[in-house]
Amino acid sequence: MEPILALDRLSKSIPESGRSLFANVSAQVAAGDRIAVLGASGQGKSTLLKVLSLLVGADRGDIRLEGKSFEQWEPKDWRSKVVYFSQQPYMLPGTIESNMTAVSRLHRREFDRRLAEELLSKLGLGRLDWSKEAETLSGGEKQRVALARGLLLKPDILLLDETTASLDANSKALAEETLLEWHRREGSAAIWVTHDPEQARRMSERIWFLSDGKLQEDTAAESFFEHPVTAAARAYLRLPEGGPSSCP
Amino acid sequence: MSLTALGFTLVFVAVALFISMWQKLGLEKDLFVGTIRSAVQLLAVGYVLHFVFRSDRPLVVIPILWIMIAVATWNAAKRGTGLRRVWLRIGISIFATEFVTMGLLLALGIIPLSAQYVIPISGMTIGNAMVVSSLFLNQMKREIASARGEVETLLSLGATPRQAIHDLLKRAAKSSMIPTIDGMKTVGIVQLPGMMTGMIVAGASPLEAVRYQILIMFAFASSAALTSILLSMLTYRLWFTKRHALDGNGAL
Repeated sequence: MEPILALDRLSKSIPESGRSLFANVSAQVAAGDRIAVLGASGQGKSTLLKVLSLLVGADRGDIRLEGKSFEQWEPKDWRSKVVYFSQQPYMLPGTIESNMTAVSRLHRREFDRRLAEELLSKLGLGRLDWSKEAETLSGGEKQRVALARGLLLKPDILLLDETTASLDANSKALAEETLLEWHRREGSAAIWVTHDPEQARRMSERIWFLSDGKLQEDTAAESFFEHPVTAAARAYLRLPEGGPSSCP
Repeated sequence: MSLTALGFTLVFVAVALFISMWQKLGLEKDLFVGTIRSAVQLLAVGYVLHFVFRSDRPLVVIPILWIMIAVATWNAAKRGTGLRRVWLRIGISIFATEFVTMGLLLALGIIPLSAQYVIPISGMTIGNAMVVSSLFLNQMKREIASARGEVETLLSLGATPRQAIHDLLKRAAKSSMIPTIDGMKTVGIVQLPGMMTGMIVAGASPLEAVRYQILIMFAFASSAALTSILLSMLTYRLWFTKRHALDGNGAL
C-alpha cells in the first residue's frame, strides 16, 4: 500500500550538546497503521514524534506526507493531518468549552458539539461541566480533554507521546478503547510512544524499536515480541541472549 | 544657573559615590562613567540646540530626529538579542510612532513647526517609544519562556504562528503600556514630570507648563499604543523558524 507518511534518513542531535539522538531513521507508515515506538529512555522517541509533527526541526533527512516533502507543505496544513499529543497535556487559557472549540476557531469550521460530547463521554468525562476553567482539571482529566480536543481535527495520523502514562487504570482502558474505536471508524494511523510493552502489544500492529540512535527493528508486533532479531531488543524485552523467546 | 552652582551639583554624585563605597555596591566606576557621559552629552546637546534654535531653519531638525531614532533603536535592540534583524523592526516602529505623533501635533496646530517645539517633544516621544519597545521585547521573552507549552499546543492543533502567539503578544503589549498609563493616573500627585519642572524652574507660568505636560502625557499614551502594536505585528514571526516551529527547537 502507498505510504501516507515516509521518513527518509532522519537525523537529530541535541542542539546544546551536539549529542546525536537518532540518525538515518527511515520508515514508512501506511494509512491506518498502528505503530508503537519502543526503546529505553533518552533514545529520542518523543523528539521523533515532534519532528514528525514539524514542531522540532530535524538536522537532516526528509519527511513526506502523501508523497510530498514537508518543505512543500504549509506547516499548519501538515499539522492538521499529523497531530501531536504531548505527554504533558497543556490546557489553553479559558474554560473547557473554549478548549474543546479551539480547533473549530483556529480552522474557522463549525464546531461539532455532538462529536465532542461523544468523545468526552467515551473518555469517562461525560459529566464534565464545560464552563469550568480548564486549568482546574486534574492531570488525568486534562490528558483526556487534550485527547478529545485533538481528535476533533480528525487527523490522518495521531502522534501519541505516552498519552496514557498519567492516567489511572480505568481511564487508561477508556482511552485505549476510544482510540481503537476511532481507528476503526476514521481509519487514522497512530504512532504511539510508550514505555509499556503490554500496551504496545494491545494497541499496535507494528513496532519501531529505537536503540543506540538507530531504528533497530521495524517489524510486526507479534514477531517483535516473539522473535526479536537484535540483541538490543532482546535485552530491552529481558529475554535471555540466544535463549527461547517468551513474553516480557 | 551659574557655572559655580552647576559645579556644586557634583555634591550629589559624591553622595552616591559615598554610599556605594560604604555599602560596597561596586557602582563607583558606573557612577563615574554616568556622571561624565551625562554632563558631556547634555552640554553638547545644549550647544547643538542653541545653534539650531538660532539658525531658525526647520529642516535642521531632520538629522537631529534621525539621530534620536537611531540611538533609541540601537538601545532598545539590545533587549532583542538573538532575534534576526530586530533592530529594523524597532526602528520602523519608533519612526512610525514619531511620524504619526508629530504629524498629528503639527497638522492639528497644537504646536508650531519650530525646532524649539519639535525637537524636545520628539525627544520625549521617541524616548517613550524606546522604553515601550524594550519593555515589550523583555515581556515577550518571558512570555515565550513561560507559555511555550501553550504555543506548541496551538501549533500542534494546526494554528498559524500568528494564531499561536496572539495571546502572548496581547499580554506583552498590555504590560509594555501599563507604566505609561499608570504614569497618566498619578502624574501631578506622585511626581511632577521633568518637562513641567524644567519649564517652571526656567520661569514659565505653572499653568502654561501644565498645558504642555498634558500634551506630552496624551501623546505618550498614543505613542505607547502605536509602538507596542506595531512592534508586535512586525516581530511575531521572529519567534518562529521558517517551518513555523518555535525557535530554539533546532533548525528545520
